[in-house]
Amino acid sequence: MKIKLAVFFGGKSVEHEVSVITALQAVKSLDNEKYEIIPVYIDKNNCMYTGILAGKIEYYTDIPNLIRQSIRVIPVREGEKILLVKYPSRFGKKVISEIDIAFPLGHGTTMEDGVFQGLLQFLGVPFVGCNVLSAACGMNKYVQKILLKNEGIPVLNCIKITSKDYFSDTEKIVKLIAEKVGFPTVIKPINLGSSVGIKIAQTQSEAADSIEHAFLFAHEIIIETAVQNLREVNVAVLGDCDEAVASECEEPLAGDEILSYKDKYLSNSAKGKSQLDKSSGMASLSRKIPAEIPTELREKIRKIAIESFKILGCSGVARVDFLYNNSTGELFYNEINTVPGSLAYYLWEPVGIKYPALLDKLINLALKRERENKNVNFSFETNILSGARLSKLGGKNGK
Amino acid sequence: MFEFIGYIMLSPLFVALAACSFVYFRRSMHMFQLNMYKFPAQFKWYRQNMKWLALNLIAPFAALAFLLVANLLIDGNEHAHAPWFGLVIILLLLVLIAILVLGVVFFAVGKTKAKKKLVFTPRVLRMCITSGLIYLSAGAILILFFDYALFIFPFVPFLSLFLPLLANFINTPIEKLINLRYINDAKRIMKSHANLVTIGITGSYGKTSTKYFLTSLLSEKFNTLMTPASFNTTMGVVKTIRNQLKATHEIFICEMGLMWLGDIAELCQIVQPKHSILTSIGPQHLETMGSLENIISEKFEIANCINPDNGLVFLNYDNEFIRERELDKKIIRYGLSENARDFRADEITVSDKGTDFTVTAPNGATARFSTRLLGAHNVQNLTGAIAVAHTLGVEMNDLIRLVKRIEPVEHRLQIINKGENIIIDDAFNSNPVGAKAALDVLKNFDGERFLRFLVTPGMVALGEKEFELNKELGEYAKNCCDFAVLINEKQAIPIKAGLVESGFPTDKIHVFKNLLDGLDFVNNYNSDKRKVILLENDLPDNY
Repeated sequence: MKIKLAVFFGGKSVEHEVSVITALQAVKSLDNEKYEIIPVYIDKNNCMYTGILAGKIEYYTDIPNLIRQSIRVIPVREGEKILLVKYPSRFGKKVISEIDIAFPLGHGTTMEDGVFQGLLQFLGVPFVGCNVLSAACGMNKYVQKILLKNEGIPVLNCIKITSKDYFSDTEKIVKLIAEKVGFPTVIKPINLGSSVGIKIAQTQSEAADSIEHAFLFAHEIIIETAVQNLREVNVAVLGDCDEAVASECEEPLAGDEILSYKDKYLSNSAKGKSQLDKSSGMASLSRKIPAEIPTELREKIRKIAIESFKILGCSGVARVDFLYNNSTGELFYNEINTVPGSLAYYLWEPVGIKYPALLDKLINLALKRERENKNVNFSFETNILSGARLSKLGGKNGK
Repeated sequence: MFEFIGYIMLSPLFVALAACSFVYFRRSMHMFQLNMYKFPAQFKWYRQNMKWLALNLIAPFAALAFLLVANLLIDGNEHAHAPWFGLVIILLLLVLIAILVLGVVFFAVGKTKAKKKLVFTPRVLRMCITSGLIYLSAGAILILFFDYALFIFPFVPFLSLFLPLLANFINTPIEKLINLRYINDAKRIMKSHANLVTIGITGSYGKTSTKYFLTSLLSEKFNTLMTPASFNTTMGVVKTIRNQLKATHEIFICEMGLMWLGDIAELCQIVQPKHSILTSIGPQHLETMGSLENIISEKFEIANCINPDNGLVFLNYDNEFIRERELDKKIIRYGLSENARDFRADEITVSDKGTDFTVTAPNGATARFSTRLLGAHNVQNLTGAIAVAHTLGVEMNDLIRLVKRIEPVEHRLQIINKGENIIIDDAFNSNPVGAKAALDVLKNFDGERFLRFLVTPGMVALGEKEFELNKELGEYAKNCCDFAVLINEKQAIPIKAGLVESGFPTDKIHVFKNLLDGLDFVNNYNSDKRKVILLENDLPDNY
């Protein structure tokens, strides 16, 4: 009996397409002997579709056609089982498949930020990766910094502003930035990954542009100090709150000061290339693995990454990004990606974990969390209300 | 014309008869379900309710007599036109309806507080359908071909009591086919699950506790499924496999109940356990099993199906019936006594927090465990679970932590602090060994500081030894409690005899009709001391 693994990807997110690449890469690497893989494509309206085509990258060049040839499904619980059923179904229910484990592989909003995880937790299906809370914290750059700062993790000074704050009193906000953060400064939407909407402002005059640009992507933005002589170092962490390990470190290389979305994802695949191989997606970027940094720094980064991962209550695999000032040697936690592009598998191969093994580990972590949850009571078997006289509670209408 | 009026006047009677029949049928079906659709147990229930059965047979005769008279009156009597005539008929009708209502009250209302409600399983529904068809066809045949069909109707409630048996008999071939299909499906699922390690558990006592304990100990490391609650019959296990077993499960813990000869062998054939545990052998279900010899050989069926090359049989070596049997399998002996050579629990200490004990594994690993559970038998069952979990690869150090986390199973020596009083809830299906263990726990409470109450209706389902064993319970209770509160006059007789003969003061024995009255007495008893109340074996409905 194979484990029925539903892979969910796409979704209402600016990283929709990247997620398709990440997911189908993973599908290719999953052990077919062990898992029966059910690809579930989520379109930009968050409707779910499955079918043979949903698992094939070449069909994603024409998504309307893909949707036409796929079956729209919804996940539901029936007794002890979680089912994917056809929607709408004309006669009774039509079960497309059972789900033993769900594997969310969407990046960004609604997929990586706890929203989709909430659906899975509500259904009670074991799933890979962070739960609602840690996914939500992992997506909100402000909240995670507050939490980590409280536990002594080095983070940059930052402020959070809303679009209403800014547009009602722009001058005050600019003053505040100068006071609390200083220039040059980095301005980013609060909840987007993949460098979307991020700009650097060298001076006050530049700030307005960058801020308004960021507000195109989110109602809340954060503004933090820009690190001088910047080097970026990323590391992945695998595990859960009890036990976690860190991968090799990488140093992404970019001409620009910050990796842009184009750098990250469009350098290869934007050319209309629909071939899916290991060189596409996040794995395709030019980077140095291992990062050319002193061993001490490497170990420090790995240690802080694991600590941050645990503080945020993460599970599965996450990539933690650091900022490093090459002249002063200051190191700052920058952000965490709880569903990293390509699941950061390229960081695990150097430490001896092949992609299929990484995926196996992720699935086992999902089952481990499920076992732990089962040991906790979420509801009492008896109905406390069954003995109560509800009419008394109903007030006037109760009569 | 008069005939027509007569029928109209009789119509409340028909309604009453129909209602009565329905209630009787439902009640009988309920009992039949509780008796697991077995005839002898159902027959026992009929015997116990002989009085009411008789009344329900006599009442229709009375009704028949009435109908005859009424018919005569309507047909031929000149007084039929008199105004008092209608009154007489109505009066007679009311009396008859009253009798029927009384029956309904007895069956439907008198014993409503059912612990296990009638569950409309597909099987029950199929029996209901068959019964409905019997009603309809019998009614049609009678009305069409039998002039005096009317006379049969008063007997319908009485006959309804037996209808579930008939329906069950008619449905037997269908049920067998349906069950066979489910069983084959379960076998197919088990077969497709090549890497699943199945562990069979049986025993006269302790199997359910051991199952819970083992699941708790294994669940941290392995994806474990156990048969839920008391799903330990063939069809219960089949249902668990079909509805709950998933590809992600690594271990399946299957409790195997023994009610009838062949049960265990059948279950073993379906699930094919890799390892098995035998927790105890004793005189449980003697009524259905016949003799202790039968029970012993049946229980050991769980060992027979184990592959001697890679399977293990875990045996509670404190139990003499288990010890005496020779097996050509790899065995692991656990328990509290010297006989338990492989996993033995000793240095047992008890406090108000629970129990502490030390277990040494065959490889020399030793650990001190603490648990919130009470009673020697719990330590025994925990040791069995520890033996299996350790053998399957859970480290002793992890086991210490996992054992600490185990909660008492509800109604099995569960300590409940209720304000002033401490309740030891041991209400779930008692047996002689368990009852003595529970009494030992009660005894452990210091008589200087605590007032100890035993509240029990005694033990049931022990066959011909029932009286004797209950009397022994009384004798044993003598030194363990300050008050004996016995529930149900009939059940109380042997326990009371045991208590009195061993010199327990008569004025400290109180007998009550039902549990609530007994508890009222305990609650209202004035004392400076803290009360400890042992609730031993609450009776299920069918006794």
